[in-house]
Amino acid sequence: MSNEAHSPYLPIPMHVLHAYYESNDRSLKTLELSFDDPQDAREFFAAYNPGQFCLLSVIGKGESALGIASAAWEGDFVRFTIQKMGSVTTALHELKPGDPIGIRGPLGNGFPLEDWKGKNLVIIGGGCAFSTLYALTKHLHHPSNRGDYGKMTVIYGTRTSGLCMYKQDIAAWHQRDDMEVHQAIDVPEQDWLHHVGYVPDVVKEVKPSPVNSVAVVCGPPIMTKYTLPALVELGFTPETIFTSLEKRMKCGVGKCGRCNLGPKYICKDGPVFSLAELNDLPADL
Amino acid sequence: MNLILKKDQLNHLLNSWRQDYEVYAPQALQNYTHFLPLQDGFELAFDKAHNTRIPPKALFLPTSEALLKFTKFGGYEQVPLETAPRIIFGIRPCDAHAMTMLDTVFEQERYTDPHWKARRDATLLVGLGCHEPCQTGFCTTVGSGPFNHAGLDAILTDLGEIFLVETLTEKGEQLFTQLETATEEQSKQASEVQQAAAASMPIAFETEGLKEKLDQNFDSPYWEEISRSCLGCGVCTFLCPTCFCFDIVDEAQRGERVRNWDTCMFRTYSLEASGHNPRPSRVERTRQRLSHKYTHWVDQINQIGCTGCGRCVRYCPVGLDIRAMLRKASQLPSEVAHV
Ligand SMILES: Cc1cc2nc3c(=O)[nH]c(=O)nc-3n(C[C@H](O)[C@H](O)[C@H](O)COP(=O)(O)OP(=O)(O)OC[C@H]3O[C@@H](n4cnc5c(N)ncnc54)[C@H](O)[C@@H]3O)c2cc1C
Ligand code: SF4
Ligand code: SF4
Ligand code: FES
Repeated sequence: MSNEAHSPYLPIPMHVLHAYYESNDRSLKTLELSFDDPQDAREFFAAYNPGQFCLLSVIGKGESALGIASAAWEGDFVRFTIQKMGSVTTALHELKPGDPIGIRGPLGNGFPLEDWKGKNLVIIGGGCAFSTLYALTKHLHHPSNRGDYGKMTVIYGTRTSGLCMYKQDIAAWHQRDDMEVHQAIDVPEQDWLHHVGYVPDVVKEVKPSPVNSVAVVCGPPIMTKYTLPALVELGFTPETIFTSLEKRMKCGVGKCGRCNLGPKYICKDGPVFSLAELNDLPADL
Repeated sequence: MNLILKKDQLNHLLNSWRQDYEVYAPQALQNYTHFLPLQDGFELAFDKAHNTRIPPKALFLPTSEALLKFTKFGGYEQVPLETAPRIIFGIRPCDAHAMTMLDTVFEQERYTDPHWKARRDATLLVGLGCHEPCQTGFCTTVGSGPFNHAGLDAILTDLGEIFLVETLTEKGEQLFTQLETATEEQSKQASEVQQAAAASMPIAFETEGLKEKLDQNFDSPYWEEISRSCLGCGVCTFLCPTCFCFDIVDEAQRGERVRNWDTCMFRTYSLEASGHNPRPSRVERTRQRLSHKYTHWVDQINQIGCTGCGRCVRYCPVGLDIRAMLRKASQLPSEVAHV
């Protein structure tokens, strides 16, 4: 690369390592991407903090913002789980191992992991927005990180059991004695051993303790809308509740104006905000 | 330093600059004036209108420009950056002021836009103050003025037969080394002209407490009332010198990823893939436009994000006047409960 200023619009060259469906209805596909240039990998992982996202680029179609679903220690690849929505995400679903792809990132702030040290973590996710919480949980599981945090409670809801992502890992999480895992589906299914009901109701049922705890919530807007007050009711203060926002994005680097929310740009200043911060922002979501 | 430029020497000076720079100055084209590069036999058009219709931001953030090229092998490469030296002559203080605000967006520590920065670094701004301020402008209301120095390398004051030139930066000084120094009398005359011009501009609306009122009345019927006749054409934002929103699209046949000016006044701007739209109607979109200028910029850089250039007032096809909107806002109740 020339010594010209590195353009924040220029994707990092990568290629597809693995591509597989994550859900039985084929609406969710996971891509694992590896770097063409090891130097790019070093720079990426030096900067990466769980909760960040990337812009995945398909030539001729454009870019889509996707949360990073892997922890740095897993290897020199980056994982994304993509829900098929429109033109870019459909093109991403068509990629096969070996295909070239460009990504920009890691972008945004990610979770304030330093501030959370010594605390119990309540991790609440719904639908495909669980991807960055999966990355967070994997990150915390690493022996060099696990000791820095207290008890971990994961609450993860999907509409059906077939839409549950990362099934193997989550099954293994149930066996761990250093964490509590609560899974939920919206309506009853045969052989389902876990909760049935919407995530906010499951949260009320599980009643995670707010004492020395932080809660982080990522899910569809409707889930987040009802989960935040449920946590407040349990005694979590707005400073200890975190969520990740989604808004339409283009540049990802605070230039194009698209993701503007009051004086903030979600791409640059977020996507992770505390409820205390959100309470100071206009309801322009 | 204050210098004297005789008006009949102006063209000679501009031509001398043309040897080393591309020189842009307001010239007539169809019914409007535009910043166009000077060609042999050029004719300046200062008198037709104060401001060009399209603000000079377009010379730094073009309406459309390639950000990347696609390579044959499925990769991406940076397009060459423009670094040829330029002078923009005759830029008005409100527009130069706007450039300093846009710098805070495009030149940040964490992410700098290389296209913007290359053009900014290569360009000098020589301003022309407004000794007879325009009718739609309200720069003095928003903390600026018809002879504001922000962003300029030099500023000219029209004193009839001559311009008084104030050089404001070292680079600006280099452009005028041939000129005579102004007498004390001439400098005094210029500052009188400058003060009289500012004093002749009425205060368009009360800015004290305005931000708080807009913030606190997020759910007020006010927004519906002021946006009722809006067509959603976006002219007020495209022609605004402090608006910078852009879209990024792939032009597959050209093999380029391109950015184009965009506007929060369009429905599709904020429409998400799920069908959800945080700003579904002109009410929310007008609120975004005004709030961005009059509250968000204030939170971000402690300055109102409107320079009072008056373009949105002049060019709105249904005559919506931001001054009237803000006069009305200043009547809103304050200290209502924040919801
Ligand atoms: C921070 C962040 C993290 C995200 N993480 C994930 C994830 O992990 N998995 C996942 O499946 N989805 C995620 N999304 C949503 C995903 O970005 C959109 O579903 C996707 O961009 C739709 O693009 P499309 O081209 O398929 O749809 P189209 O409707 O064809 O969209 C056209 C263009 O609009 C933009 N766009 C439309 N909707 C959105 C949106 N909600 N967010 C951002 N840009 C949008 C895109 O730039 C796209 O190029 C995330 C969004 C954000 C902002
Ligand atoms: S809002 Fe209107 S008056 Fe203010 S800078 Fe923009 S175009 Fe000019
Ligand atoms: S120029 Fe006038 S009609 Fe057009 S979007 Fe702006 S306010 Fe609405
Ligand atoms: S996506 Fe462009 S400013 Fe956030």
